[in-house]
Amino acid sequence: MKKIKINLYLLEFSINALLRAKAKNISILVIFTLLVALLSSIFFISNSIRYELESAVDSLPEIIVQKVKGGREYDIEIDRVDSIIAINGVKSAIARVWGYYYFANAGVNFSIIGINQYGEQYKSNLERITNRIDFDALEANSSMLVGVGVRDIMKQNYYNNYFNFIKPDGKLKKMILAGVFKDDTILESNDIILMSQKDAREILGLSSSMATDIVVKVANPKELSTIAEKIRFIYPDTRVVTKDDLKISYKNIFDYKSGLFLALFTISLFIFFIIVYDKSSGLNSEEKREIGVLRAVGWSIDDILKEKFYEASIISIISYLLGVVVALFYVYILNAPLLRYIFEGYSKLKTPFELPFTFILDISTLAIIFFLSVPIYIGATIIPAWRASSLDVDEVIR
Amino acid sequence: MILIPEVISILILNTLFFIFATIAFFLSIKIAIHWDFNKSTKEQYRLEKESFLVSTIIKYIFILKISLFLFFIFTLDKISDLITGAMCASGVITATSYGVYLLAIKLFNIYIFGLWLSISYLDTKREDLPYTKIKFELFIVAYLFFIIELILMWLMFSSIDIDKIVSCCGTLFSSSAQSPIGDIIRIEPTILLTIFYITSLLLFIFYKHRIKYLFAVTNILFIIISIITLISFFGTYIYELPTHHCPFCFLQKDYYYIGYLIYTLLFIGSFNGLNSGVMEVLGEDASNSYRYSLIFNTLYIVLVTLYPISYYIKNGVWL
Repeated sequence: MKKIKINLYLLEFSINALLRAKAKNISILVIFTLLVALLSSIFFISNSIRYELESAVDSLPEIIVQKVKGGREYDIEIDRVDSIIAINGVKSAIARVWGYYYFANAGVNFSIIGINQYGEQYKSNLERITNRIDFDALEANSSMLVGVGVRDIMKQNYYNNYFNFIKPDGKLKKMILAGVFKDDTILESNDIILMSQKDAREILGLSSSMATDIVVKVANPKELSTIAEKIRFIYPDTRVVTKDDLKISYKNIFDYKSGLFLALFTISLFIFFIIVYDKSSGLNSEEKREIGVLRAVGWSIDDILKEKFYEASIISIISYLLGVVVALFYVYILNAPLLRYIFEGYSKLKTPFELPFTFILDISTLAIIFFLSVPIYIGATIIPAWRASSLDVDEVIR
Repeated sequence: MILIPEVISILILNTLFFIFATIAFFLSIKIAIHWDFNKSTKEQYRLEKESFLVSTIIKYIFILKISLFLFFIFTLDKISDLITGAMCASGVITATSYGVYLLAIKLFNIYIFGLWLSISYLDTKREDLPYTKIKFELFIVAYLFFIIELILMWLMFSSIDIDKIVSCCGTLFSSSAQSPIGDIIRIEPTILLTIFYITSLLLFIFYKHRIKYLFAVTNILFIIISIITLISFFGTYIYELPTHHCPFCFLQKDYYYIGYLIYTLLFIGSFNGLNSGVMEVLGEDASNSYRYSLIFNTLYIVLVTLYPISYYIKNGVWL
């Protein structure tokens, strides 16, 4: 591998050659930079959101137990908590009361969470809220707390001070809007309505001996899978979801989304390949004469190929670096307008992404972007460069 | 089928390689058949030009292949997060029946492409282009291996099943495993170590006395015994764990990616050793690769020897 040495004179020559054909090269540089920027933005967005979700998963309970009947989720008996908590290694088991409420006028789903004031809370942010606000008092005058997104939707539908929920039996349940809460992770709190457990049961149609699911906290993460196995053994009719399962499925979703994008992106790469191929094939008489002169003064085909290779490397590496920088600016400073909708979903109440994307930059992503840009550009120039370098000298100079 | 971005980009690049290699393949056939340096026909002149295209293409593929190979290993490590039971690349490789062959042929192809380039370099240096015919015949063979590699890779990526449980490296590389690997691990390490250091010593002796054929042959022995001792002895000191023999885990972050350095040194050393043998067969001067081979092999020996020694200094006992 001793022959792969950088010849500085040749490098200088290549830079000058690039500058001689400014218009052509700048247009290629711009297109290429934009392509790289597009590709990198997608990866940066998906990495950041995935990171956000993974840290959200971290704050979740280790195990969620759902009852499944006929392949569908079903209400679970509250007294199962007692036998789950008896398993060695379980720190706590809490029956949750929550569910979705479909508000047909706006076409959105609210998440209703029923809070038991004196029970243990399964999430620290709920703990903080129960410390501040007494849900028993809320229950006494049928009121609720809502997230910012919910408040806005209700206002648009002229529910300024209260909201009428339609219960499963068709009767109305009037809930007074007691306040708005804003959490640090908007991803979780935007579509949420908090109320006392009794009110939540009434709206969701849940009898007092049932719960939506049971969350289990485990002290030692290494015992997680064993405990999950034990719960499955005691209650064969349940689906036991562990935190690791969630993490893997999040990972899969985002790998799938960016993979899908990449598969589509292949088409643009292919088109780009053809454009570069075409552009570098069309030599004007000036360039032809230049090659002719070089051949005449004793350059071999190999030397000219090498010079063309330097040209291609310079352009593609500059575009790569510029593209990554542009993408960093676009995603982390401008917050990725337009592109983020690919990952956001289209529900009206889904997060309005005020979150500053967490800055994540891993080598693997940079390597993917590199492999999909620089080699493809250089590859597209190989055959045109060879064609140009093997022109007949006498024909060109004449 | 795993559709993660890393795999897709590997597949895209390999498609590109396939297209270029196929062009080079057909040109090679033409050159191998019609090449005659003494002719001064138009056709011979054209063939000469085309030979430049082929060697540029091969150079392009080779350089990318090396970096892509490292990326491939890295990707396998990443996939291991997704597959139940796998903790490092070895689980992914054994997840399908193609993995082991794929890895072997990938390595083999890198050696072949590298040798091709070094013959090609010799060829263009001389005015009478003495090796042109040979090198294009060699490429025809290399192309077939390359195609096998591509097919295997496609088969492997499309048959990985995320939900299937695979073996972790702890069971694959354990002394109770009923496999050739298990047999190797059961051999007393002192015997293997003796062979390893004797082979190293032989390298020095042959280098000193310029016995080039034996030097090349010893290099082949050296790479085999290196990998065996890496699995059976040196690996355990990298992990500081007497039961862990996996040759993939030390590619991971927990061991500071040291595996990439280890394998790179081993590759450069052995490649140059083989290269010097081939050059000797062709009657060319190969003192450079001769020297590089010894330097990198020595670096490798020093690096892996440092692990047990520093362990002994720190803890006062052997594993």
